[in-house]
This record gives sequence, structure tokens and C-alpha cells, in this order.
Amino acid sequence: MIRALVQRLRNKTRAWARRRHGIDPDPLTLSGRRIYILPSALGIGYAFMIFAMFIGAMNYGNNLALALAFLLGSLGLTAMHYAHRNLATVRIASALCEPVFAGQLATFRVSIENTSRVARHEITVSTDHGGAKPARIDPTERSVLELTLPALRRGTLVLDQFEISTRYPFGLFRAWAYVNMPMRCIVYPRPSERGIPPPPLETDTGGAQDATRGDEEYAGLRAFHAGDSPRRIAWKAYAREQGLHVKVYAGTAVTSHMFDWSAVKGHGVEARLSQLCRWIEDAFAEGRAFGLRMPGLEIAPNIGPAHRQRCLTALALFEGGDDG
Amino acid sequence: MASAAAAAFASAKHWPRFTQQLLWVIGCYALTVLPQLGDISLWLTILAGVTVTWRIVAELRQWRLPHKWIRIAVAFAAMLSVFATYRTLNGLEAGTAFLVVMGAIKLLETQNKRDLTIVLFVSYFLLFAGFLYDQDLLLLPYMLLAIWILTATLMRVHQSAHMRSREALGTTAKMFLQAIPLAALLFVFFPRLPGQFWSLPAREQARTGIDDEVSPGDVSELSVSGTLAFRVRFDGAVPPPRERYWRGPVLHDFDGRTWRRAQYPYVERRLLPTGPTYKYRLVMQPSQRVWIFGLDAVTTWPRNARRTFDYQLWANRPIATLMVYDLESASNYVVEGPLPNLLRAAALRLPEGRNPRSLEFARTLRSQVDSDEAFIAAVLNKFRDEEYFYTLEPPRLESNSVDDFLFNTKRGFCEHFASTFTMLARAAGIPARVVAGYQGGEFNPMNGYFNVRQSDAHAWSEVWIEGKGWMRVDPTAAVSPQRIESGIDAAISEDEEVPGRIFVRSTLLSQLRNAWDAANTFWNEQIVKFGQAQQQSLLSLIGIHDADWRALGWGLVATLIGFFASMSLYLALRYRPPRREPLVQAYEQLCKRFARINLPRAEHEGPHDYLTRVAVARPELAKQLSEVRALYVNLRYGPNPLSSDISRFRFLINQLRI
Repeated sequence: MIRALVQRLRNKTRAWARRRHGIDPDPLTLSGRRIYILPSALGIGYAFMIFAMFIGAMNYGNNLALALAFLLGSLGLTAMHYAHRNLATVRIASALCEPVFAGQLATFRVSIENTSRVARHEITVSTDHGGAKPARIDPTERSVLELTLPALRRGTLVLDQFEISTRYPFGLFRAWAYVNMPMRCIVYPRPSERGIPPPPLETDTGGAQDATRGDEEYAGLRAFHAGDSPRRIAWKAYAREQGLHVKVYAGTAVTSHMFDWSAVKGHGVEARLSQLCRWIEDAFAEGRAFGLRMPGLEIAPNIGPAHRQRCLTALALFEGGDDG
Repeated sequence: MASAAAAAFASAKHWPRFTQQLLWVIGCYALTVLPQLGDISLWLTILAGVTVTWRIVAELRQWRLPHKWIRIAVAFAAMLSVFATYRTLNGLEAGTAFLVVMGAIKLLETQNKRDLTIVLFVSYFLLFAGFLYDQDLLLLPYMLLAIWILTATLMRVHQSAHMRSREALGTTAKMFLQAIPLAALLFVFFPRLPGQFWSLPAREQARTGIDDEVSPGDVSELSVSGTLAFRVRFDGAVPPPRERYWRGPVLHDFDGRTWRRAQYPYVERRLLPTGPTYKYRLVMQPSQRVWIFGLDAVTTWPRNARRTFDYQLWANRPIATLMVYDLESASNYVVEGPLPNLLRAAALRLPEGRNPRSLEFARTLRSQVDSDEAFIAAVLNKFRDEEYFYTLEPPRLESNSVDDFLFNTKRGFCEHFASTFTMLARAAGIPARVVAGYQGGEFNPMNGYFNVRQSDAHAWSEVWIEGKGWMRVDPTAAVSPQRIESGIDAAISEDEEVPGRIFVRSTLLSQLRNAWDAANTFWNEQIVKFGQAQQQSLLSLIGIHDADWRALGWGLVATLIGFFASMSLYLALRYRPPRREPLVQAYEQLCKRFARINLPRAEHEGPHDYLTRVAVARPELAKQLSEVRALYVNLRYGPNPLSSDISRFRFLINQLRI
């Protein structure tokens, strides 16, 4: 009951803060004016303690006890200023957010930079779904904090608002600001269960034009790059002390899958996307080449993580496509 | 054992953070319990000690904490035992014991930040309780140290990342230094209420000082203590040493050995000063008794005191804290009117069948002289001329103590002489009584106060002389005039122990004592007893005269505003980013100048886009701007910027006529 009320109040303040500040630039230097501060539950306890001391001291006419109450009270007010300043003028920027599959947790990264010459403490970011572990940020350093959000559906998951907050120095006050910095995360479709076999491999004989692919015909040597297969290193040339080279082949017959939207019929859009996703994942895991054919989009067969990402992103952002 | 402890300390750095924090918190708790140790009942102290020790061992050995129901049972038992010990939970002493025990029991379930914080809050409260007990200047540094360490620990407990204790202590010290001015101003401006608004049972504490009954040996026992009883500062004239009698309980009832206070209400007779009156301020140390030892006899007194029929001054309640009284006294006075019959009877009453030889002696002596005054002089002469000695270590007396003293031992302290004299006077038909109090006092030139110590405790007699009223007669003065003129140290022979004699012998020590005493007086007067009067005088120093509630309220508001402003300013300065590099500064200056002619740079605009836009808006500057732009982009983003180019850039900017 009370929790629901608090949540409603919180939502209202958030909406209000959003109207007040608008969309924030990325990166954002947090101005002191938009930092809110309230005593925490502990702070309220502290206030009660000081009040009890105050009443007792007044009652006994005891000046030292009164001075202690005033000192602790003043310390509380000083702590309030520290809490506020601890947050003001930090520089907030969004950082890389890696795509996830639907049903997983999306991790949004927020980079927080301390532009001042004083260390900042206990800075954290949070949403309704939880927050990061509070971090200490040394002068002119930056710290990347992570926010996780459940990615329920494929598409673009947008985190449009989060809180940056601190309870430094004594946990008596919580200073926070609403940051309206939209951050996006691509959510791939959830891969369906294994079961339906992928379409058979096709042999592409047109690879002759493509000098970068294939393994049929020796086409010369090129310099070694990190990541080249050791099987292709020209050891003989190396033995002749000509340096490390790799043999290049071309004009190949390449086998690849072509995953076609229209080939997965009658399952509904999401199910079809899930099936395509599963095939792509399996093919990628086994190192087989694959291509993707969607309505209005065709991605030629290829291999590698960039290709996989391109295909999965196409699935994630796929729009339309009736059940025909 | 010692090596085990050393090994434990060596491995302290590798303990989990919670363990370290817990040990710090326990340390803080112990720090705040320490000053209270003497005041809490022994077995509750042991209970707390055992609990804390168990918790430490459990933490180091990683034992499981006791089950919830066990903890509740222990807490309940502890509460009952506090109640059983003190018969109440209300009141300072029981409350403190309760806090100490509950703090220890809270440790049993302490396993997170919140619990640690609660123990720290309990410790803060124990510090507070400590101040209610004792406001000594000596305690202050300890209390400040404790509150500092406590707060630094609070800070460390609330850090998720590791924070070194040195950093926490440093930051907290800084915060305290910033908070102290505000606290001091609040302290000065906060309106003070006169007196308590509800009363809690006062703490049971040993009563000190003069008792309301005097037996032989009582005063001399008191005299071995150098503890301060009260301080006096005269406003104007100072009475001569032989008139510095500080009047305490007046004793009428005598059982042959012990003098006691009269319990009946008698009519008061008016008191008329015949000599000068003295105005003075008297600062009573806590004694847990009601007597205010005014100069004999008090003629004007404040409303929180009253005067009895026999001119004792009583506080309204036992003096449990330092109390300040502004009084006026006359050391020479007559009492108007005849002695009421009831009082005469009380002042003549003697126990049946006790001290027969003394009775006989007094009656014989009285028949030989022709007036009461002559009788008194004769008795004093006897003390002076015969072998009577004033000593701190008188021999023990038999049950007929007056007889024994008068005829056998002849060695006594002031109460022996006063008691004997009074009894003789009564036997001779002269109304007489014993007055207990202090005589003398040591002047401290550093603060103008007379310090009256327990060693100045004294007893003397009062006799009723028709037409003059009650007259002070001090038989001790007859035996040992130095006691009255120069104090106990001069009166007691070299080989007897006298408190404070060492201070009299060494000037350096006595100066040190005086300085410490002056510091204490200042502390007591200006801080401990800070009240409406000091508030008014302090405020009139800064030009606020007759400050009322409203003035104080404005003072508080101004203080708070000042604090908020200065804190914000200070922290903004401290947290400001480091200076930008000169190139960026120059560029930002340029942007500002354009902003003044309504061409502000938008957030998203880089230098290239922005300056191009400006050039379009101000075509006459286009040529210069294009060079500025090229130079800036080159300097900012290109490799190896030349310092000469930066100068050129500045020059170009200054050339621009915007």
C-alpha cells in the first residue's frame, strides 16, 4: 500500500523532472541545480537522535550536551553539502551497450567522469530494476557503471531515464539527479528451440571473382596478420628468412547456407525470426558461412562476428512481414 | 598470548572489510563506554564486556551468530536485569546502563551496515550521557577525540569502496572544522530556557562536603581532601580573612556526641546588618546537597534559593550540577527582637546524664562570673591558656566525648572545640548552637576567585546574647588564631599531612594550579554555565543589546544562511575542475563575445560549423574568421601545436572587431 504510493510519487517526480530538464545531451555535465537531496531513513534516525539529545540537554540545562547536539546537527548539515557537491559537475556519458537476445538482461554502461581535483565517493546509477555497486572515482578519472534491464522483446531497448545518486559521506542523505539520456540496446530475437534443420548447404561457384574468399587455387603470398590460421603460413618462405607470410587462395567453391524469410512459413513473425536466429547462431558457432534473405533485404553469405551481428540486427529491427 | 595478539594484528590487513569495520565500531563503542564505567553497576558492565568479547571472537573465528529467539531472550533478560538493578528504566543512570547493555546486545546481531550504524548511534548517545554526568574540562579532549573517531568510523562504514582510515579521519576532521563555527553560533544564539521543563529522577551520587550532622572527627576527615567545594568572587569590597565564614547547616540537637539539625519550623527573626555588606558570586560545585555556603549571613538571595529561620541558605533542589548564585551578605549583624521560647528551649537542651564533669564545670564557672559575655571569655581563655592543641589527628574519644576532650585528651579539630564550647554554654544557660561550614579560602590572582576547598571545612558556635542576638564565637580561633587568619596549612604542625601543602611550598606548582584553576573557572562560567546572562553580554559585545527572542531568532536565521552560503561557495571552489588549457580558454572567450551579439554556440556545434555560421551572419569578419577557424582546428586537433601559433591565435582573436 505505502510502497505503491511511494512508487506513484516517484513516477510523478520523474515525469516532472523530465519535463523540467528535457532530454539531456550526451555527454552531460551535471549541474548542481538539478540535484535533489533528502535525508535517508538513517538520516531521519540521526535527526531523531539529535532531537532527543537537544531535548535532554535543554531539560537538564546542560550546555555541553547541548553543544554536542549542535555539533552533530551542524555536522549533518555539512554532510548534506558534501553529498550535494559529491554529485555536482560529474560528467556523464553513455558507453557501449552490447546487443543481447530477448529474454536476457541488457547491460547499459554509463561512464562517469570526475572532472574535479577531489575524489568522489559512493556514486551509483540506478533504475527501477536495480543499480550498480557504488563506486569511488578518483580525481580526473572515470568509472564505468553498469545498469541492467531485462530485454523482454526484440527490437531496440531504450533506457531513457536513470538516476545518478550518492549517499556520501555518512549515508545520512541521498542526493540524486534524474538523467534523461536515451541509451539504446539492440535486442535480437530469442533463438527458437533446435529442431527444424537449416536449409541445406549451397555451393557457390561464383567465388572466382572474389579474391578474398575460397581455398581452391593458390593465388600468392601476403604479409601475416595476427589471427591468420597457422595452417596457411608459408613456412618455407619463413625458413628462407623472407619473413612471415600467409598463402592466399582464391577462385573457390564456397559452401554456404542461405536463410530465407520466405522459407520459414506459417509460424508467425516472431517465431519465424526466432527460427532464423537459431540457424544463424548454429551456423556461426560451427563456422559455416551463411546469408540472409529478408523481405526487402538480402545479405550475401559470409562468415565472422561482424556478419553475424549484421544479420541478427536485421532480424532485431525487422518490421512488417505479414504471415504470408 | 601476546604473540597470538601480535599475529592477529599482523593479519588484520587481510581480514574481510566487514570484520575490520566491526572491530572499529566495537572500538568506538568501548571508547564511549569507558568514561561511564565507574557509574554503571559492576555486573552489567561484565555482561556488556562478555557479550562484546564473544562477538569479537565469533567474528574472528567466523562462528554463526545466535538465533533470533536467543537474541530476543538475551535482550529481554538484560532489560529485566537493568530494571532489577535500578528499579526503573527512567532516569539518567538506568537509561545509560540500558544503552550500554543494549549496544552490546545489538552487536550480537550485527552483520550489516545498518546494524553497525545503529551501534555507532548508540555510542553517540553514550557520549551525550557522559556530558550529562560530568562536564569537567579534563573530559573535553577525550570526548572530542571520541566523537571524531566515531564519525570517521561512520564514514568508513558507509563506503562501498575501500577507504583508508587516514583519509576518513582527515575528511571528518575537515568537516568538523567546518561544522564547528555553525555549532558555536547556534550555541550562542539559541534561546535559553530558565530551568528544567520536566524533571527526571536525578542520578544517585555520593554526597560530598559537609553533612547535616557533626560528630567528633567528621570535619577533620573532610579536611584531608583538597577537592573544591565552591568558588567565590567578590564584587567590590572583600571581607577580611577573619570574617570569611561560609555558613552551612546550623545544628541544634545534641545527643552528647553528635550534633544534628533541628527539624522543626521556627519563626525567623529579622537580621540587621551593622557593618558593610558584600556582594559576590558563588559557584557551587555539585554536592548533591541543598546547602549554599553563603558568607555568614546572607541578606539577599536569588529566587532559586531560600533562607531558613537559622539563616542557612538552601537551594531548591540538591545541587547536582554546577550552580551559580549571586548573593549579598553582611558579616556583622544583629538579630532583632527576643529569642522565641521554642527556639530558646531547643538551644538550651542537653542530653540527660551525659558529660557530667563538663556540666559541673560550666555551672561552677558561670557562678564565678557575672555575665554571659564573661563566661564566654573565660571558656575561650581556658582553651587559649591551657594545653589545648589544634590537630588533624585527634585521639579517639570515649562515649562522654566532651568530658574526655575537655579534661583528658585536650587535642582536637575545630568540631571538638565548637562542640565542647557550645555544650558548656548551654550548661551555663546561654542559648547556643553549632554551625558547620567553611572558613577561609584561597585567592587565585589569575581569575579573582576565592577557592574554598573541603580542607577549609570548619565548625564554630553561635550564642544568643540578649540585645545583640546570635553572635558568632569561634573557639578554634582561641586555640589556633593562624587557622582563621591564614588557613589550615599554617595552623597544622609540619609533621602532619595537609592537602595542598605542596602547592604552598612551590611557587611554580601553585602558579600552575592557579592557571589550571583559572582555565576551569573560565570553562565553568563561560561554557558550562552559559545562560541568558552570558548570552546577553556576549551579544552586546557585537552590538545587539537587550536581545529578545526575536533578535535571537534572526541571529539563528542569519547564521544558517551564512553557513549555507559559505559551505556552498567553499565546496564549489574545492570541486571546481582544473584550469582549462589556454587555447580552449581563448576559444571560449571568443564564443562568449559572439554570444553577446546573439550568436551563441549551440551545444552540438563544433568549432568548424560554429565559426562558419558566424561568418555567414557577419560577412565582414569572414576572412579573419576563416583563419581563426583553421588555426584553432589545427591547434586543437592537429599534431604538434606550436606555442607561437597559440600566440597568433590570441592575437587574431583580439584583432576581431565584433
